[in-house]
Amino acid sequence: MNNIKIKMTNIAKVFETDELETHALKNIDLVIREGDYVSISGPSGCGKSTLLSILGLLDMPSSGEYFIEDINVTDFSLDQAAEIRSSKIGFIFQSFNLIDELSVFDNVALPLRYSKEKISDDYIQQRVTECLALVDMTHRASHKPNQLSGGQQQRIAIARALVAKPAILLVDEPTGNLDSKSGDQVMSVLEKLNKSGTTICMVTHDPRYADMATTQLKLLDGCILTTPSFVTVGEKEAV
Amino acid sequence: MSQFIYQQKQAWAGLKKKPGFVAAVVATMGTTLGALLCILTLAYVLIAKPLPYPEQDSLYRVDSVFQNDKGEQVGRAYTYPSLIHLYENQQQFGQSSLLYLSQDVLTNSLTQPTLNTAFVTPEYFKLLDAKMMLGRAFEVTEAKDANNPVVIINHQTWVDEYEKDSDILGKKMGFSGTSFTIVGVLSPSFVEPEILDTGRAHHVFLPWDFNHAGERARRAWGNINNRQLFIGKLTASTTVTQVEQRLTTLVNDKWREEVNSVEFFKGWNIEIDVQTFKQVILGDSENTVYLLLAGVIGLVLIACANIANLFISRTAEQQRQLAIRAAVGANKKDLFRTIFAETHFLMMLSVGVALIISSAGFFVMQYYLAAQLPRVSELSINFFTLSCAVIIALALAAFFARLSTRMINYKALNSTLQSSGKGTGVQVSKSIRKLLIISQVAIVTSLVFINISLFQGAQKSIAKPLGFTTENLVSLSLSISSSKNPPREESIAIMTELRKKLLTLPQVAALSQTGSPLGGFNQNAQTSNANKRYVINTKFVDEKYFGMIDQPMIEGDNFSAADIRDDNRVMIVNELYAKELAPEGSAIGQQISFGGDQKDTIIGIIKGTIMPGQAEARMQAYRPQDLSNNHLIIELVPGQTLTRKQAVSALKEVTNLYTVFDLIPLNERKTQMLFTQYTTAITSAVLAIITILLSAIGLYGILSYSTQMRGFEIGTRLAIGAKGKDLIKLIIGENSSAIIVGIFVSLCILLGIFIGFNTELADYATFQLLPIFVATIVVICIISLFACYWPLRRFIKRPAIHSLRGSD
Repeated sequence: MNNIKIKMTNIAKVFETDELETHALKNIDLVIREGDYVSISGPSGCGKSTLLSILGLLDMPSSGEYFIEDINVTDFSLDQAAEIRSSKIGFIFQSFNLIDELSVFDNVALPLRYSKEKISDDYIQQRVTECLALVDMTHRASHKPNQLSGGQQQRIAIARALVAKPAILLVDEPTGNLDSKSGDQVMSVLEKLNKSGTTICMVTHDPRYADMATTQLKLLDGCILTTPSFVTVGEKEAV
Repeated sequence: MSQFIYQQKQAWAGLKKKPGFVAAVVATMGTTLGALLCILTLAYVLIAKPLPYPEQDSLYRVDSVFQNDKGEQVGRAYTYPSLIHLYENQQQFGQSSLLYLSQDVLTNSLTQPTLNTAFVTPEYFKLLDAKMMLGRAFEVTEAKDANNPVVIINHQTWVDEYEKDSDILGKKMGFSGTSFTIVGVLSPSFVEPEILDTGRAHHVFLPWDFNHAGERARRAWGNINNRQLFIGKLTASTTVTQVEQRLTTLVNDKWREEVNSVEFFKGWNIEIDVQTFKQVILGDSENTVYLLLAGVIGLVLIACANIANLFISRTAEQQRQLAIRAAVGANKKDLFRTIFAETHFLMMLSVGVALIISSAGFFVMQYYLAAQLPRVSELSINFFTLSCAVIIALALAAFFARLSTRMINYKALNSTLQSSGKGTGVQVSKSIRKLLIISQVAIVTSLVFINISLFQGAQKSIAKPLGFTTENLVSLSLSISSSKNPPREESIAIMTELRKKLLTLPQVAALSQTGSPLGGFNQNAQTSNANKRYVINTKFVDEKYFGMIDQPMIEGDNFSAADIRDDNRVMIVNELYAKELAPEGSAIGQQISFGGDQKDTIIGIIKGTIMPGQAEARMQAYRPQDLSNNHLIIELVPGQTLTRKQAVSALKEVTNLYTVFDLIPLNERKTQMLFTQYTTAITSAVLAIITILLSAIGLYGILSYSTQMRGFEIGTRLAIGAKGKDLIKLIIGENSSAIIVGIFVSLCILLGIFIGFNTELADYATFQLLPIFVATIVVICIISLFACYWPLRRFIKRPAIHSLRGSD
């Protein structure tokens, strides 16, 4: 049995305003093991982005428990959460979120510079080059992001997500801003990575790409719909 | 025009929804503009506006300046006979007048107030084109030597003393035993020229003959008094230099002739100095005004930078609306007009507030600063003020509109509509942001530094020890209510009895028959043993004086009661004078001559004193008081007071010959004398605080805006694992270069000011300014750090998702 990378128990998220309580997530139970390729899909407003942001410690659940590699991160402080993000999580955004003023090299190196331990320049150089090679972008190391095409930018973002050897890659609609050809290229990179052992959890609404994952979770109105294997379901049986 | 009104209505509709923004802009701009208008009007009145007299640039004050045998200036004043000689014989001024400025008690009034009296020849009123509200001015019936006891009162006195009595003409006023008939009331439009004391208006005008110069003084060619003046109007086309030369010859030749036999004045000369009314009235105020102007302009600049930020943020907020306008056909000019309608509206509101504030400013200046700044009575919102206000407002409105429009990338505007608000449609370039930071920091550092320095200087002046105490002491001066001074024996008897009477009062602890230590020095000519001639501040004191005011004796003896009673020929000198007379050894035993054969022997050396606000000590001499003298210093039991009423009734029980002229606690008088210093301290402290507040707001505004614009980048960094402190370091690091450049620029500004105004500032610039500069930089750094940190809080104190989503 592979190691458990992610374990969520009874996670719920409620958004409160003056007049309204929105239950974005209700009773989510989730386990992701090393080497899994999980996709989460569902209609607009089903809560998949919310789930991904809680997975990535970008937001706090209203209740429930969350473990990353057996560490209970549920009540982590903002600083503790940041440490986990820099060392255990690799995030890939729909709009790439690269920093235009930094070169490609510096963009990829950024998570290492935020790590808790001091990392030598040599190691950074070596690791960044490795990751750029993984996505076939070594020849663009000194360019600026706005000199690259959308597909190339997304591959840089993937390299950045990999550089700190994270426990899991969290991917949010990676092809949302790309044409179909670039989209296919990016998805093939992700597939290649997963085949070499990288754990991936991806949110997408494109059914073609959802099918590329080995496990597909369907989300509706804040709950995971019943799926055959690997995952414990919530209370409701979906239609 | 209707288009304009339509746009203003639109502007108002949009602004109504943003009361905070409107309040910030109008408050900031309104107050600083108000201060600017105030000072601009002051500058205009003092420097540009002509005096309100006909042919005012031909009006002059003529001074007599004494030079000793070394060519040094030793006094600026007339001897009485020289002045008369000048008046009767000069031919340079077509019209001229004499003035003698003094004070006297109005004896035939219930309250017996002390009024400012001006003794003038009739030409005074013609020279100044003084309009009368009732009655007449002085005429040939009041010419010199006519001895006609009439009086003219000014408008304010008619209101205050006589409650606008319409039957005032013919009523009597009693001064020093003479009854004067009121023949005229000056119009309220009459502005008295402040040609001797700033801020002192004279309540009554009396004919020259009744002036307070004593019998002796009228004949003495060796006594000077700076309260007797000569003014005139030049009608011929001679130059001022020519006039000075001719009058110098006229006055000096006569004077030299009269004092030829006086040893002391060997080698001395009188020089005539002619100054325009404007020069005399303006005096040193020109520098003050420029300083104030500089300070206020600095404030306005900071305010402008702050408001520029506010407009930048607002334009960024409005980009969706601007994009829609562009989509339906607005071109760049139309967008400019839309924004200009808003800035124009706001600036006009600010001008309204500014006018109210400048009126308040005029009131404050007239009420509190009349003695410091001349012509404040002429301050009001006039055409100059209004035109300045409107021009500045329009210019600023256009500037802010232009700035905002430049932010708009017209071509990228429509992409805003598609990408629902995230985008590059409206951006402030990094260089503008950096420039805003640099300018804010530079101006603030300079202003705060200047203000702290001024504050320190004023504070030092206030705290400087005088060398004597003013606690529990009251000064009482009496004036004679008859036209002739009583004989000396009678005066001595009256004063002796009065002293006994006052000592019976429970609140009186002790008395000294001496004038207040906060004055009372006269310049006396004296010659030393070694035949050196001096003009020294000299005061007459009794034997209790030094003890009562805690002025310590250093060597030798004080006067004894016998010295005072017998009028012995002894004197006491201060350390400075003693050092001058005897550089090695002691000055005790030396003899000083005050003219004539008599010589006074020095029996004691005392520690010197300075007056409040005086920078350097001067040589001082003390001589035994005459027992007929009508000044007293009263030491009160701690916690007790002596009212004017009590003093008047005590005096009445002794004699009717004297009235109470002045009764003032020394502490109060000292505070009055330090008024300029207190005002400077308070103003500079307030200015420094306002500047710091404004700059904090401004720097916060700029940095808040740039942080906000980088919301997504910050969110990204947080997502990758940056902690709060990583981001703080990032923002500080990126802005520190701009802040350092700003400090450097301020250093250049300050050095520039110092070099440019080297002579005026020579007193201020010492190495003590270095800690002040360091303190200023520390303050600026704290503000900057705060401005970097605070806007980041909303990003780093919440889960990272909020920055990525860009919510609220």
